Amino acid sequence: MAQLGVASVSFKAENPPGDLAIWFFIFAELLVFGVFFIAYAVARSHDVALFDQSQLLLNRTAGGANTVVLITSSYFVVRAVAAIRRGDAQRCSGWLLGAIGLGAVFVVIKLAEFHAKFAAGITLSTNTFFMFYLSLTFFHFMHVVMGMVILTAVAFKARRGGYSAEDYTGVETGASYWHMVDLVWIILFPLVYVVH
Amino acid sequence: MRKNAQTAHRLRSSAGIWLLLLALTGMTISIGETGLGGAWVIGLVMGIAALKGYLVSGFFMRLRRTRLLWRLLMLGWLIGVVGTVTTVCLTAVK
Repeated sequence: MAQLGVASVSFKAENPPGDLAIWFFIFAELLVFGVFFIAYAVARSHDVALFDQSQLLLNRTAGGANTVVLITSSYFVVRAVAAIRRGDAQRCSGWLLGAIGLGAVFVVIKLAEFHAKFAAGITLSTNTFFMFYLSLTFFHFMHVVMGMVILTAVAFKARRGGYSAEDYTGVETGASYWHMVDLVWIILFPLVYVVH
Repeated sequence: MRKNAQTAHRLRSSAGIWLLLLALTGMTISIGETGLGGAWVIGLVMGIAALKGYLVSGFFMRLRRTRLLWRLLMLGWLIGVVGTVTTVCLTAVK
C-alpha cells in the first residue's frame, strides 16, 4: 500500500509534456490573450448596444465550424503523440499531417471571413467592436499559422525517423503549442461570436 | 508494457474527451443560434467555455498529471480570465 502511495505521488509529480521552455512561452501567450479578452469585455461593457449590433454581422456558422475544426485537429495531435509513444513514427506523421490539414481548413475559413468583412467595407477603424474582432482573430490566426509551421517541421522529422518511443520530446512540444492555440479559440469563439 | 497500457487508456479517454468537446461546442453554437442573450446565457456560454478549457488543458495537454504548480497556473489562468470576462459582461447586463 505504501508502495502504491509512493507510485501515485511520483506519477502526479510530473513536469508538463514537451520541452519546459515551450511552457514558459505558452503561459506568456496565454497571459497576452487573457489581457486581450478582458480588454474586450471592458470595452464591450461601455457600449453593449454597439457590440451586440456589430456582432450580428459576424458569421457564427464559420466561427462554430472553426471551433469543431480546431478541437478535432487537437485530438489528431493527441493521436500523433500516442503513436510515437508506441514507436510508430509513420502513423505519428500521418496524424500530424491530418492536424495540419485541419489547420489549413481553419485558415481558409478565417480568410473567407476576413475577405467578407473587408468586402463589406469593414476595417479596424469601423468601430471598437471590429477593432477588437479583427485584431484578436488576426492575432490568433497568426498563431494557427505558426502552429502549422511547427507541426510540419515535427511531422517531417518524424517521417525521417527523427523520433522514437524513447525520444519524442519534440512531438510533445509541438503538440503542447497546438493545444494552446485550440485553448485560446475555445474562449475567443463564445466571447466574441456568441455572448450578447 | 506499462507504457503501452497507459497509452491505450489515454487514447480511449482522449476519444471520449474529443466527443464531449464536440457536444459542448454544439451546445454553444445552438445557444448562439437561438439569438438569446442576457445574464444566464452569458453565464452558461462562458461556463461551457471554461469547462472545455479545463478538458483541453487537463486531458489533451496532460496538465492534470503534472505538479501542483502547473495545474494551479493553468486553473488560475482559466478561472482568472473566464471569471473576470464573465463578471464584466454580467455587470453590463441591464
